[in-house]
Amino acid sequence: MNTKLIKTALRNISRNKRRSILSGSAIAVAAMSIVALFSLIEGMTDDMAFNLKTYYTGEVRVKHADYDTYERYNPMHLTVDWNSVDKALAKEDMVKSYVPRISFPSNLYIGGSNFGAMGVGADFEKEAGYQDLAGSLKAGRIPENGKNEMMMGAILARDLKLEIGDRVTVMSTTAARGTNAITLEIVGLFAFPVGALNSKYFWVPLDRAQYFLRMDGGVQEVLIKVNDEVTSIAAAPLLKAAVENSAGVEMDIRPWQELSTTYGMLKMAQMIYNFIAMFFFLLGSTVIINTTMMVIFERMREIGTLGALGMHGKELIRLFFLEGTFISMIGSAVGVAIGIGLTLWLSKTGIDYTDAMSGMDFEMSAIVFPKLSVGKTVFVYFYSVIIASAATFIPSRHAAKIEPVEALRYV
Amino acid sequence: MKNKIVMIMILLSLLIPVSVIALTGEEIIRKADDMQVFETSEATGEMRIKDRFGVKVSTFISWSRGSDESLIEFTSKAERGQKVLRTEDELYLFYPDAEELIRMQGSMLRQSMLGSDVSYEDMTGGKDRISQYDVVLEGEESVKGNDCYVLMMTAKVRTVPYPKEKVWIDKETFLVWKAEYYTKSGRLLKEMEALEVQEFEDRLIAVETRISDKMKTDTETIMVISDLRINVPIDDDKFSLEELSW
Repeated sequence: MNTKLIKTALRNISRNKRRSILSGSAIAVAAMSIVALFSLIEGMTDDMAFNLKTYYTGEVRVKHADYDTYERYNPMHLTVDWNSVDKALAKEDMVKSYVPRISFPSNLYIGGSNFGAMGVGADFEKEAGYQDLAGSLKAGRIPENGKNEMMMGAILARDLKLEIGDRVTVMSTTAARGTNAITLEIVGLFAFPVGALNSKYFWVPLDRAQYFLRMDGGVQEVLIKVNDEVTSIAAAPLLKAAVENSAGVEMDIRPWQELSTTYGMLKMAQMIYNFIAMFFFLLGSTVIINTTMMVIFERMREIGTLGALGMHGKELIRLFFLEGTFISMIGSAVGVAIGIGLTLWLSKTGIDYTDAMSGMDFEMSAIVFPKLSVGKTVFVYFYSVIIASAATFIPSRHAAKIEPVEALRYV
Repeated sequence: MKNKIVMIMILLSLLIPVSVIALTGEEIIRKADDMQVFETSEATGEMRIKDRFGVKVSTFISWSRGSDESLIEFTSKAERGQKVLRTEDELYLFYPDAEELIRMQGSMLRQSMLGSDVSYEDMTGGKDRISQYDVVLEGEESVKGNDCYVLMMTAKVRTVPYPKEKVWIDKETFLVWKAEYYTKSGRLLKEMEALEVQEFEDRLIAVETRISDKMKTDTETIMVISDLRINVPIDDDKFSLEELSW
């Protein structure tokens, strides 16, 4: 490819600036949209994974060996011995933090009526090292161990017209497979990122939950976060061996990826996101192809002139290919740059889905922060350039084949 | 004249069994209800609740006065101090760690008592069944060697726990040996069967009863009364809300 052809291509681009800018803008808008969309999806996926690991499963989860089998029967008696699990995990270097939890479906008895809610028994001191509990506290304080206190989801409290200082009687099924009730004072209101947690949940000190639910030192599950040097899949079997050795009983210890309900949900969400991304991606590609082809088809008269002046078919194809490549390189670069800028801005401000997510039981935060993926951004740049450049071949090949006289008939 | 007297005596002797057979369904139910109601009673017993996870035993003391008032206090470790009070119109639960009494109403009544096959709603039944049900005497059957009337009761009102009940009542003692509880469309919901009976003051009382909720799989509850004392003195306020909280 000689430099003369490159110079001609650049001259053609600069000669009709308006056309070149329009063509480049279309490519830029498509590239920007795809970068922003990929970043949003990356942010949503990361957010859901974080929420699942923080609030639902941990990176590795410890449960009674039979719990999942009988889960639909609410088997509160299928617990793990917290002391032995605690002892075993405390010795493991690969463990970053871990928390015991007891989730119990319950009824809140208010004004003679029952309202369904989900209770969580938690060791708040340990929770502080596991999640940003203080940051999630909207009002009041965190309940204290040994006291009949609770903190309630801000939306649940609002729906039930409760506030800090109110006392609520909670009824639930116990580990003795009976029922029990206890009155707890609301000392705090929380707002976790996940809407469902705020509209259905209340948290109580672990020791009060154990007493109320007759658990005798047992907990329903232990959620573990592992150090960055080790993956949850690699850590799970090692932790299983250590914990089972300490407790002397078989337990269900699995990485979060193997917990079908949660990871399956994430995979499903990813599939949906990718489908949406693919749709927009194809839409973006269509815009790029359409713009490039239109630019060449409207220059048939010019092509005829060039042919009449002696430019061969292959040279014509190369010329238009170079023009398309230069425009797409500039357009893609601008688009990707704007996409990066937009993503970086939104990654700080976040996108608020509070209204859209209200009433939805989905493990995605109400405010999502897009996350830039370097690999995907580079891919979008090269993809846009290649698509736009390749799109020049179809009309330019067609143009190269027609006779100059025929090409001159195009207006 | 002599022949006339013999004739009348023969007719009278024939009339006696005819009058027994001629008991109506309502009369049988009334007699069965009367057999189970005491002026006052005090009992200790246990519930053996069997489900897919094994057998759980809850012990209790109960008091009753007439057909409308009863109080159960659980004494087993897991439920110690929990009480269920039934008054004429209401059912209340007392939990030692709860600051308020829980009044059971509406759908709450359908909840299982301590995970057993007995619902709180089951405890509200039994009051004036004659006015609540249409009773049809379907025939006679033998249950465990005891001749029984078989009666089908169809609810006239919507406030009863079960729209249809089929009961087997002993022809001599009027003890309910067996009962089946159905939905309006005829789906079996629950079964009750007397396993062991004892005589108290000329009445036969079921001291061991099996109840099975057919909506659950592989569950049953055996109610055992180990000690029953009839017509014992009970404080007037035993069945009051104030007493319940103590």
